[in-house]
Amino acid sequence: MLRTTLAGLLAHKLRLLLTSVAIALGVGFIAGTFVLTDTIEAGFSRSFSADADRVDVAVTPGDGGKGEERPTVSPAHLAKVRAVPGVAAAEGLVRGTAALVGKDGKTVGDLPTTGVSIHQGKLNRSTITSGTAPRTGQAVLDENTARIRGFAVGDTISVLDSARKTRSFALVGLFDVGVDQQLAYTGAVGFDPETAREMTGEKGFVELDVLAADGVAPDRLRDAVAAALGKGYEVRTGEQLAADLAAANGANSRLLTVGLLLFGLVAMLVAALVIYNTFTILVAQRAREMALLRCIGATKRQIFGSIVLESAVVGLISSALGLLVGLGLGAGALAVLDAMDVSLPTGTAALAPRTIVIGLVLGLLVTMAAALLPARTATRVAPIAALRTQVEEHTFRTGMVRAIFAGLFLLGGLGATVAGLVMDPGEVALLVVMGGGCLTFLAVVVLGPMIVRPLSAFAGWLPARLFGVPGRLAVANSRRNPKRAATTTIALTIGVTLMTLLSVLTGSIRMTYGSQLDEQFPVDFVLATQEGDSTMPHSIAAELRSRPELASVVQIRGAEARLGEDRVDAGAFEGPFDVTTVSGSMRGFTAGSVAMADRLAEERAVKPGDQVALTTPKGGTVALRLVAVYDGSASRIPPLLVPVPAFEEYFGEVGDAQIMVNVADGVAADRARVAVEAAGQAYPTVRLLSSTELRSEFDQAMDSQLMVLAGLLGLAILISLLGIANTLSLSVHERTRESALLRALGLTRPQLRRMLTVEALVLGLIGALVGVTLGVVFGWAAIQTMVADPLFDLPVQQVSSFVVLSGLAGVVAALLPARRAARASIVGSLASG
Amino acid sequence: MTLTEVRRAAPDAVVARGLTKVYGEGDAAVHALRGVDVTFATEAFTAIMGPSGSGKSTLMHCLAGLDTVSGGSVHIGDVELTGLGDKQLTMLRRERIGFVFQAFNLLPTLTAEQNIRLPLEIAGRQADQVLFDRVIDTVGLGDRLRHKPAELSGGQQQRVAVARALISKPQVIFADEPTGNLDSRSGAEVLAFLRTSVRELGQTIVMVTHDPLAASYADRVVFLHDGLLVSELSQPTPQSVLDTLLTLEA
Repeated sequence: MLRTTLAGLLAHKLRLLLTSVAIALGVGFIAGTFVLTDTIEAGFSRSFSADADRVDVAVTPGDGGKGEERPTVSPAHLAKVRAVPGVAAAEGLVRGTAALVGKDGKTVGDLPTTGVSIHQGKLNRSTITSGTAPRTGQAVLDENTARIRGFAVGDTISVLDSARKTRSFALVGLFDVGVDQQLAYTGAVGFDPETAREMTGEKGFVELDVLAADGVAPDRLRDAVAAALGKGYEVRTGEQLAADLAAANGANSRLLTVGLLLFGLVAMLVAALVIYNTFTILVAQRAREMALLRCIGATKRQIFGSIVLESAVVGLISSALGLLVGLGLGAGALAVLDAMDVSLPTGTAALAPRTIVIGLVLGLLVTMAAALLPARTATRVAPIAALRTQVEEHTFRTGMVRAIFAGLFLLGGLGATVAGLVMDPGEVALLVVMGGGCLTFLAVVVLGPMIVRPLSAFAGWLPARLFGVPGRLAVANSRRNPKRAATTTIALTIGVTLMTLLSVLTGSIRMTYGSQLDEQFPVDFVLATQEGDSTMPHSIAAELRSRPELASVVQIRGAEARLGEDRVDAGAFEGPFDVTTVSGSMRGFTAGSVAMADRLAEERAVKPGDQVALTTPKGGTVALRLVAVYDGSASRIPPLLVPVPAFEEYFGEVGDAQIMVNVADGVAADRARVAVEAAGQAYPTVRLLSSTELRSEFDQAMDSQLMVLAGLLGLAILISLLGIANTLSLSVHERTRESALLRALGLTRPQLRRMLTVEALVLGLIGALVGVTLGVVFGWAAIQTMVADPLFDLPVQQVSSFVVLSGLAGVVAALLPARRAARASIVGSLASG
Repeated sequence: MTLTEVRRAAPDAVVARGLTKVYGEGDAAVHALRGVDVTFATEAFTAIMGPSGSGKSTLMHCLAGLDTVSGGSVHIGDVELTGLGDKQLTMLRRERIGFVFQAFNLLPTLTAEQNIRLPLEIAGRQADQVLFDRVIDTVGLGDRLRHKPAELSGGQQQRVAVARALISKPQVIFADEPTGNLDSRSGAEVLAFLRTSVRELGQTIVMVTHDPLAASYADRVVFLHDGLLVSELSQPTPQSVLDTLLTLEA
């Protein structure tokens, strides 16, 4: 039996090729994920240990309890460590804000750059890539920042110190931040330790690095240092530190692995459907072969075994291929990351033994599991079938069991979805809705064979009219075997559903955010500082008011106060600003009164007319009358407002936290921008935001996210196309004589090709239509559970392009099968089968 | 005989001259037809007979333009087939030839009526309703027109196939073992129907068969042996056909 199976496989290499490709792609994606994350992880731990090799013992502050500030190690402790016997040298690492000023006079980036201390000698852990380490009056920049901001060694750079005063340094070198994600994100300026403390205003150190004297073992020194410092500090050897850092980082890359694997599993699921369908068709086509085997004495068990064995061989070979694909994918992804200058360590891609085992086992299991049902069908072939000539048409009747299962799934799915929708928006509700989505999808899978007929009539309506006789024959063919058509299209449906879901989600989130942005940002420009906690002098607003290009200027000040025990952000505004009141009125908003955002008022259970006690730094605790409650979500104003004179009385002289500017009618946006920029020019940390810029930044972020996800889902769609091509070529094989008959009756070769192409087009459209419907419905449901008061946006263009592309993809999938069918000789085909 | 003379002698529906067909090359070459000269008259029912491997199916395929010839010429009416491209041959089949095969004659996705109308639809022609009604009437399938082939008996399926061949009023209908898969009663029905369509509708039919009984329905039988036309009979009876065959086998 084994020999028969293998001979059969060899004889039909081609028909299993597409199946193999489907499995190989799925396994390849999963293996590629492991290759990528393994390499990155190995790179991280390599650079961590290289980094930590230079240190014998490292001291980091403990968790520091509930302190608001980042805990640090004080200079006094540094002195203590230096005094420990066996310590050759000890240095404290300084890290804090030191904003680099760009060539335009503004601080660079969205976040201020980080100032770090760079030590001379052996304890220097930074890699200076060009120039020298900084001494007093000098500084170094990280390579990326220098390149992006256009600085070179020899330039003079300006950096803001902790009092926001500009100071100049000679740029003497560039350094590599290595795998430090924080520094890579903000950009870094390095100073000598003393200057670093001055510039950042940090009093303590984030870490103490200790070098052991000759002959002192690191772990003994660690114990000695720990004893000298007492509790509250974490003292580790360099090796331990490296291991801990690598472990912490591993958690991050595991998240990436899990995320990517999810897409890999979707691809495998689609591949499993393709395999299932292929084996079902193969078994149907080989019914006579099986029957002959049964006639000459093969048992049912042997027939079953031969199909399972066949799937095992196919699964094993294609999984091995998949591992190679994975190696290629991983290496490719690393190359792309490298080219994009992402600050990730890269290395040579390699297949870990675990990857090989997982890839092979997964590929094998999925293939064999998918072949089980077809194998069981094969055992039902009666020996007498060997003597029948005519292939029976597969008529499909809706079974009771099928209907009941579909009903149950559908009920469960819709029930869960509705339950999720009724819940308060949040993660749980989202999960419930997604669970409902999965159940509904299962219902569609079960219902597939029943709905394929009406759907093909719908999707084929236009093609049948456009393409004449071939078109009509094609539509009829697409529905002749509903089970097969359903499985083929479901594979495509998975990909399209997820794509549509994503695009509906992105569209809706974008629209929701956009409308919130309009409400919060009813102004053309906002001036704010780079760091949230600093303020702008009132002179900026005064200057802006004097500009004829600008219609209105609103200043917002903010300060911290207390309501009872709780801290609250209090504020005041000056200028023409309409507060949207929910209850009460702003008319009585004078000395001795206060207004609150709706959320805060609800939290405190107060309503207009009530008294509230506000504790302020200068005014002590004052009793204020609540006059109005306003819509807090709709604007950028603080949740508690007092009139300006009262604010000054309670908090003293405080600068503006934000200035909102509206442009006068008829003034061009760029002219207005110049005017606004001029007012803030003298203040490096003042940033200018415009509503259009904010929105386009957000749009860009959403778009690139959608593109990445769509790319990952593209694989699942590719596999499902292989499925369509596979089904079609097997169907073509099955219908060889039918095609020959049509040719004899006068169908030209192009017409025959067109007929098969239209059939694939209709299959593609069916898959897309179901996918789009599910995607839109569950995209809508999901967005309801994600944010309060969501807006729903159906990106019609995107979604309809999915439908069009699916149809086109079907056409592409039909190219080869159709060509082969059209080429076949009529006489030969008539004789065959 | 020259080409022009053939063309002038148009009453013949199909004319083959010096027809040869060789499969394979060199030592493996099989000479299926070794120079066949044969003429099929218009409005006549002719049967091609011969033992297995005599080349009768190959002859039919070459006459119908389904297969290419190695030498000689074939005319259908005034059109010479040899040298025509696939497109032209396809058009010729559409316009002038009808087919009835041994099995698998009908598209399982179409109803009987749709199958009958299929050649006209492919050609983009309108059905002649009078002819359609008459054909349906003759076939005797009036109540089964909306059935799919799977719901019809073997004899009914073959009758639908004959009706389909008739509906486009082809110059000639080629029937390849049309009764090969049928029981004798159904076979007799189909053969009677073929004969009726020649007598009453003026159709020309060329039928390949190895069954003497089937051949006896024809007006004339030609006998093929080892790729050569060896004999023929007019107004055959089952006995005379059988006798001729036995002589050939001997």
